Amino acid sequence: MLKNLSLLGLLLPGLALGLAPSPANAQTEAESPDAHPTFFIRGFGTLGLARSSSDQAEFVRDLSQPRGIKGGDWSARIDSVLGAQANWQATPEVELVGQIVSRYRYDESRTPEVMWAFAKWEPDTRVALRAGRIGADFMMLADSRLVGYSYLAARPSTDFFGPLFFSHFDGADASLTLPLGKGLVRGKVFAGKTQEKASDVSGIWDTSGSPVRGLILDYSTGSWQFRASAARIRFSNDFPLAPLPDLLRSFGASGAAGELSTAGKASRFYSLGVVYDQGPAQVQGMLNEIHHESGLFQNSRGGYLLAGYRVGALTPYAGVSWWKSTSKNLATGLPDVPFASLNQTFDSVATASAADQTTYTLGARWDVYPNVALKLQWDAVRGSSRSVFPVRAEQAGWNGRTNVISAVVDFVF
Amino acid sequence: MNVRNTLVGLCLLLLSQFAMADIVVVANPKAGIRWLTRDDVVNIYLGRYRRLESGLTAEPIDLSGEPEIKAMFYRKLVDKSLAEINAYWSRLVFSGQTQPPQMAANTAEALRRVAARPGALAYVERSKVDRRVVIIFEFGDE
Repeated sequence: MLKNLSLLGLLLPGLALGLAPSPANAQTEAESPDAHPTFFIRGFGTLGLARSSSDQAEFVRDLSQPRGIKGGDWSARIDSVLGAQANWQATPEVELVGQIVSRYRYDESRTPEVMWAFAKWEPDTRVALRAGRIGADFMMLADSRLVGYSYLAARPSTDFFGPLFFSHFDGADASLTLPLGKGLVRGKVFAGKTQEKASDVSGIWDTSGSPVRGLILDYSTGSWQFRASAARIRFSNDFPLAPLPDLLRSFGASGAAGELSTAGKASRFYSLGVVYDQGPAQVQGMLNEIHHESGLFQNSRGGYLLAGYRVGALTPYAGVSWWKSTSKNLATGLPDVPFASLNQTFDSVATASAADQTTYTLGARWDVYPNVALKLQWDAVRGSSRSVFPVRAEQAGWNGRTNVISAVVDFVF
Repeated sequence: MNVRNTLVGLCLLLLSQFAMADIVVVANPKAGIRWLTRDDVVNIYLGRYRRLESGLTAEPIDLSGEPEIKAMFYRKLVDKSLAEINAYWSRLVFSGQTQPPQMAANTAEALRRVAARPGALAYVERSKVDRRVVIIFEFGDE
């Protein structure tokens, strides 16, 4: 019977019903008493309230968000999420997975979107091949950024994951896991095309159809896990900057206009990560480096360190993270007289992707029920006034500093 | 004597606690597993690597219907609370990776499934182990 329904058709009614079924009663009864259930509907969500003290800029979770929070007002905008997933083990080797998520989007709506919709084939327990819409695993843990219940802090570090506005792409990946020494080594390659949009004050940037590819290498042994990854995206479209590029060209500054184009140019993401997880203690540290061929974006480096220790149902944690970009020192080459205002506009565009900040985090996670966690977190963002990329709608007087308090309830069902 | 009775009572209580905590991992005799290390059990139950030496795929079973036994098993295996285990699986499941262990309502069901499927594994109290299955891992004796 299940075979006649599409995965999406199975998911949509679930979302409409508010996803009441728990995993236990969502399982279909297996025909044979010894076969295990093969169909699951599960869900996750976060109800998050946060306030950011600065009046001069809006704090966002990552750069996919067009607006953020500011001025000390409590808001549920940036962290609240609801998602549902269906898994169907069609045969022992083939599984179909679909996930729908409603979150704050580039167009300021919460229209549900298909996050994943793929078929997974495991011809052998060591090999997995997936095709369809899959997670953009650009950096360690990047493919589960929306499932608050699965991580320790209130949200993934903005300094680290903020620049990554991709959640998924349409394509395929292949992974191989093998024992090596006392541990396990896993390699994964992926390739496909993005289907996502981002937005900024200047408008909506459609990155659909941009080819992506990457590889990941993991090694885990005992309490340690190490990861290195590299990914590349070649943008299909230009960032909406009209009429600036045409103006520059008309005055002979085609070089500067060309610097601002993104179409056909690649951005590369590199990351290294280590996780130590031993009983009640867990520590994560990650580093990234992002290179953009386009002059529109400054290259950047970021990192974070997060440590927590569980005491009963309570896990206090502390962390530090940073995001720093390097200016490409671009100029139009045109004299200030009579091009002062054109030069100024160009400079403001070329420095709009500057980041220079460090964030200190303190918080606690309380596992209230086996499927519900409550988190309270304080983030002190300490940056320079040039650090405008990580925030939205910055105004004159933005000094790069804000304090963010977050109270979130994460759940899975 | 009161003190003596109390002491004996305490000893019995402690013994029963130890007996209760005596969890072993069992498999189907046809799986051809002689013994697993703690790392093997961690890899199988946390979904990192489920290939058995014989080439069979390990199919771990969780005692969802007996949360005390489940909690004790994960506490002894990786010193994690059930909430932490749930959080761990949330990350893998919702990023479309490995599936968590299958669920069994109770020990009897778990044993029945292990007896019926060559790749199935389950953790049960030692006192419940019967001739249909073989012990392939025990804590503290690795």
